[in-house]
Amino acid sequence: MNFSFLNPLFWIGALALGAPIYLHLRRKQPQNLLPFSTLRFLDDQPQPKQSPRHLRDLFLLALRALALLLLIGAFAWPFIREATTVVVKESRVYILDNSLSHQVDDGFQKDRERLLKEFGQAGKETQIAVVELTANPRAIVSFGDDHAAAAQKIQQLQPSFQRGSYLAAFRQANTLLANSLGEKKKIILLGDNQENQWADNLNTPAFLEDVEVEIPKTKSTARSNVSVSDARAERIFLGDKSLVHFTAQIIHKGKFASAKMFLRVNGQELLAREIDFTDKGENIVFQTEWEAEPSLQLSGELSVQAEGDSLAGDNNVFFSLAPVQEGKVAMLAQSSFLKLALSPEIMRGHWAARFIEPTKVSSELDANNDAEVLCIEASYLQSSDARKLLWRYLSNGRGVFLMVNRVNPSTKGFLKELGFEILSPDPAKAGAATFQYIFANHPVFHPFTSPDYGNLLEIKVIDPVRLRSKQAVPLVYSDKGEPVFFQNLKQPGKMFVSAFGFERAQTSWPVHSTFIPFLDLCLQNARPADTTPTSFEPGDAFAQSFPTNSTVKTLLLLKDQKELDRAPVRNGKAQLRLPDQPGLYRLVCEGGVEPEKIISINPSPKESQLIYAAAPPALQAWQLPASAKSSPAVQTKTMGAASFASIRQQRLWWWLLLIALAGLFCETTWTNIKRRIA
Amino acid sequence: MQNASNRSLADQFDPRALAALEGLDFKARYVMEGFLSGLHESPFHGYSVEFSDYRNYQPGDDLRHLDWKLYARTDRLCIKRYLLETNVQFYVVCDTSASMGYRGSRAWETKLGCARIISAAMTWFLLNQNDAAGLIAFDEKNETRFVRPSSRSTQFGLMLREMEKLQPAGGASLVNLLTQTARLVHRRSVILFFSDLLEPSAEVELYFKQLRFHGHECLVFQVLDPDEIDFPFTESHLFEDMETGARRQVSPANARGKYLERFNGFMDDHRKFFQSLEIPFCVIRNDENPWRALALFLSERKRLK
Repeated sequence: MNFSFLNPLFWIGALALGAPIYLHLRRKQPQNLLPFSTLRFLDDQPQPKQSPRHLRDLFLLALRALALLLLIGAFAWPFIREATTVVVKESRVYILDNSLSHQVDDGFQKDRERLLKEFGQAGKETQIAVVELTANPRAIVSFGDDHAAAAQKIQQLQPSFQRGSYLAAFRQANTLLANSLGEKKKIILLGDNQENQWADNLNTPAFLEDVEVEIPKTKSTARSNVSVSDARAERIFLGDKSLVHFTAQIIHKGKFASAKMFLRVNGQELLAREIDFTDKGENIVFQTEWEAEPSLQLSGELSVQAEGDSLAGDNNVFFSLAPVQEGKVAMLAQSSFLKLALSPEIMRGHWAARFIEPTKVSSELDANNDAEVLCIEASYLQSSDARKLLWRYLSNGRGVFLMVNRVNPSTKGFLKELGFEILSPDPAKAGAATFQYIFANHPVFHPFTSPDYGNLLEIKVIDPVRLRSKQAVPLVYSDKGEPVFFQNLKQPGKMFVSAFGFERAQTSWPVHSTFIPFLDLCLQNARPADTTPTSFEPGDAFAQSFPTNSTVKTLLLLKDQKELDRAPVRNGKAQLRLPDQPGLYRLVCEGGVEPEKIISINPSPKESQLIYAAAPPALQAWQLPASAKSSPAVQTKTMGAASFASIRQQRLWWWLLLIALAGLFCETTWTNIKRRIA
Repeated sequence: MQNASNRSLADQFDPRALAALEGLDFKARYVMEGFLSGLHESPFHGYSVEFSDYRNYQPGDDLRHLDWKLYARTDRLCIKRYLLETNVQFYVVCDTSASMGYRGSRAWETKLGCARIISAAMTWFLLNQNDAAGLIAFDEKNETRFVRPSSRSTQFGLMLREMEKLQPAGGASLVNLLTQTARLVHRRSVILFFSDLLEPSAEVELYFKQLRFHGHECLVFQVLDPDEIDFPFTESHLFEDMETGARRQVSPANARGKYLERFNGFMDDHRKFFQSLEIPFCVIRNDENPWRALALFLSERKRLK
């Protein structure tokens, strides 16, 4: 914002100063005033002014004159050019890229040294500010900062593992330049010119006006790199075994023949092998599994090492997996397969099932002893108590697994309330159908991407109910194009809906090897659980919500046993800024019974894409075209005016203003005292 | 202790005692009773309810005035007529322009305050004599305050309440006041007019002529401050007009002669004008006792009755 006489702030300020002066002068009463009734018989006899006039109150005069002089001085100060005043010719903002990708070849350290050198060389006619490009770009040096202190700040910067946004940094630099004094404004990017940074923000509207931008000259278009990312660990329950299914993505770009890979879990090395990259694509999905106790908290690390790798910071990926707690499931179904699958012999340690007698649904309603998930067949929804029970589960945030095995008018109406429409049977689509399209990225079906757990495409469904919903997401389609499995997202509780019952007459799934792991995963996903993610990027903000009855007072962030940060819980929420270093961290709730949580911090996979842009088109898009720039007349005017920020930074201006106001205050007080005495 | 009847009239008026009294009621009684106690001939001749004559009953006439005895004797319905019907209504008309708020160093009350006390005293007297009294004045918002003449016992309280509300405010309002008076007073009445009359006289004279033309009797009490009469100032002042706010720098030593000449000329003009209209005219100074005004009032009342 420029400071000129057209600036509304100037007028507000002038009014604020002028109003007390006006009131002061207005309050002044003429001396010797005598109200009289017969003025019409008197003639005006103006008295000639006495010369020289005697000064009555020198102190008052001095105060007023001083206040006036200081006010004039205060307003004139930014415009006075003394002999020692330096005209600022150039305002320069350096954007120092401190993201992970810039660690290649010590790019950050080199740029930091260059910045320090240029900072020392810059004369007084050049203003310099520095913006550090991290997850939250920030101005570490402002235009008015002391040079020695600023150099020290720059020197103390360390390479980070964060991903920052070029756009955010450029915007911040532009804001700084808008409040600068220099006739020439320049942004210098000290970074690696990563292509995805520019490509991500290609469609951003132009915002740089009259700003020269200097970007580094890239020596090569790409660098060789091996990275590992997207680690994902899930528990699979196969009835007799509890396994951990682990996937991660290994990306190699460049001439790599092989790489060494290590998987460590809970301090033990589970895997050490060499991966051969020959004849393999750049993206490799690594999958493995191992048996693990369900009650065990797992935390691990997958690392990849290859010769000629440019960036070491992205060679590790950390993950954690919370222990399984035995869940409670209530069942209102006749399916013998389902009853068997949820029996203690099979689901011990995972699920404790309680079978509700169809005749005792009303007492179940009264008992108010809800489980975490309700498995219910649609045929029971004829009972109004059953319908009430289902609504209660959903509205209380609990899970429901609804199997639409049979449809009658009352069921139809209730399903409509839930957001499902039942279409009449289509003779063309009658008969048996197999699973065809499966939402493989959904947590319920993701483990089945591994052939070890069986092939879901082998499952048959016979004459499933034709369900349609605008609220629910279909997760599985049959080969006849009919959606047969849904997840409803509209209610507070999670609900999975199958278009068939789990009887042999309706599906082959209960006798398929995928049934037990599917059922476990489905119920695990349906149960109410802490939805806070456990995987973050460096520098992310972490927010944890606590229930209203929670007694947690402080949330602690620990690395091993060392406390890194703590946040008080206010209004059931605690917020933390996560550290810069990738790794595994513990979150401990102080003063409550909530279990501790292990979170993993991994760098953004985008930082591993070491492809550079020589002439990014986004930069041209960000520059305002000549027609959109302000007219030359306005430009000249604003260039001549001192910026408000620069005035604000001048302490003397504030002092002058303060003393002037104090003078006026003293003068008013003095006059009042004198009047009272008189 | 000196007997009140033996003292001179001037001795019986003490401005400090008047100032010590709270309420216009007491002040009015103090002034009037003090005055009456000094008179040798009592003005209280009693209210005459003397029978005058008869007239035939007309439907709608008040049955209270039927002469039932006559009806018993003659079988004729006749209404009695009294001398009461010939009584005159009195109006107190009070100027409340800003100049009436002036109070010099010698005065015992502002001009309006003085007019209020004297008019209240006259009202008290009139109501005691069963005469009807009313009020016309302007309030501070320049709206007409009008009390219809009546001789009821509650009238005095009503009049006092209205009088106490009067405040000096606004600019010249004398012409408007006279216009309102001419509009509101229909029946032949006696108008007791209190004002400083410090306004250009051409229009004022016109309205007084109009009032006389309508058959009203007027008594004009011009209330003045001694400062206005003799202009005693010695030091140079910036004089501000109380009504217009105009200011004039005046050196009294130089201006006094011309002022007195103009003021006396103005007063002479007034006197001549009121003489020409046969309107009794009396100057009340707010630094003196008000007996002269009351004496004029009593003599005029006697004449009119």
